[in-house]
Amino acid sequence: MSMKKSDANHLLVATGISKSFGRVQALAPLSLTISQGERVALAGPSGSGKTTLLYLLAGIIQPDAGELLLAGQDLARQRPGKEKAGLVGLIHQQYDLVPHLSVVHNVLAGRLGQWSLFRSMISLVWPQDRQVAEEALAQMGIADKIHERTSHLSGGEQQRVAIARLMVQGSRVILADEPVSSLDPVRADDILEILTALAGGSGKTLIASIHSPSLMRKHFTRVIGLREGRLEFDVPAAEVTDRALERLYDLDQSEAAVWGGGN
Amino acid sequence: MGRRELKLLESRRLLTLLLAGVFLWSLSTVDWRGPLIHTGGLGAFLDFLASLFPPELSPGFLGLALSASWKTLAYAVAGITLAVLIGFPLGVIASGSVSGSPRMGLGLAVAVRLILAAMRSIHELVWAVLFVAAFGLSSMTVILALALPYGGILGRIYGELFNQVPEGPLRALRASGASPFRVLLYGRLPMALPDMLGYTFYRLECAIRSAAIMSFVGIRGLGYEIQLSLHDLLFDEVWTLLLFMVGMVVLVDMWSSRVRRSLVS
Repeated sequence: MSMKKSDANHLLVATGISKSFGRVQALAPLSLTISQGERVALAGPSGSGKTTLLYLLAGIIQPDAGELLLAGQDLARQRPGKEKAGLVGLIHQQYDLVPHLSVVHNVLAGRLGQWSLFRSMISLVWPQDRQVAEEALAQMGIADKIHERTSHLSGGEQQRVAIARLMVQGSRVILADEPVSSLDPVRADDILEILTALAGGSGKTLIASIHSPSLMRKHFTRVIGLREGRLEFDVPAAEVTDRALERLYDLDQSEAAVWGGGN
Repeated sequence: MGRRELKLLESRRLLTLLLAGVFLWSLSTVDWRGPLIHTGGLGAFLDFLASLFPPELSPGFLGLALSASWKTLAYAVAGITLAVLIGFPLGVIASGSVSGSPRMGLGLAVAVRLILAAMRSIHELVWAVLFVAAFGLSSMTVILALALPYGGILGRIYGELFNQVPEGPLRALRASGASPFRVLLYGRLPMALPDMLGYTFYRLECAIRSAAIMSFVGIRGLGYEIQLSLHDLLFDEVWTLLLFMVGMVVLVDMWSSRVRRSLVS
């Protein structure tokens, strides 16, 4: 495995990765490099492959072709476990917390990769590393909910629990699937402040799918545009134009015909 | 695709015709010439119904009914508890959610499912008859005869419930670095628990019924007393005992709802 000097900073190197589900090609062969500390926004309409790309980068699914290196190691060969969890963490669109558990257990689940079996079992009765969870929840502003049943929290609060879990997990790369799509502009801004502070504070890398141009420019350093599984553009955030985004999200001819208009 | 649909429809109609035909043919095996209900029968049946108003309510008998109910309940609870202890670990293995290597895990899961099927395919009364040979007419016989088939039932259902939980939270746990066993502990188990509990309580009700029937065999309990009173044609006593049985099942049902509700809040 040869490492060129310029690769030193490249945390994520994807070469020709593609993914299909049955007959649908979700991602055409795609190559990109992401360095440590970057904040990357993924833009694109529904079905453009943003979620597929995020899941590939998280190592949750494997590419059909191509190679994906994370910190110099082939991600496909890494089994889920402590090492992988320390490298990548994903905040799902549906948060994917365990509703029946109390908040403290969901947050401490970020530690499960590091605890012994005995500790994992004991923690269900006496939460271990409690202060870690308390600090994370305090930073999210929901420290008082620590013993509440997770399903009793509002959507926004559950999202903060999911972020707290990621903080406890301590991964180098933070991935977020549509973290603010269902939020009003003020709360969207707030959550992105939290995420970027979380990443920036410890030199972590942040990759999130975002639709709003203003949020992209304000919180991110780089914007990658996807459409129908293909990479359309990859530019620094300051250089992304409204025109480029409009073209990205444009209803194409077949979609426009349904509504009887557009050209 | 159209051809396959046609075949399916035809076979459904065919099956309906077949079943209807079999039913009609079965009616022909009934002897319609004589009276349908045996002559003394209707009178005896009405006698039996009338004895409900009122049932036997003397304090002495009520005390007897209470102690018999208590014995039956104790057998049922002991049997189900043992069944849970048997069924839970077997259910975990049968679900295939925790395994060393995938192939070994699958083989083990299949083997355990076969064992569970064998356990529950033998009716509790048959198990009781088998155990009477070993333990005689004792509590051990009843409890084991309940625990084995119910363990088989619970094990199979627990296994399926473990596999039916939402995938999302499990995937997230796995991605946080949790091993399959920790995913079971923090994900599958908490999410399957309400249904597991509900089903176990339902099986407790069934176990009460089974324990009552088994006491017909000679071990004391509700069934034994019902048999004695029936034998003496004391129908009002029989009704009292039946009402106690119904009462027990209703109480267990209420207890079950309260437990399930407290789990949610």
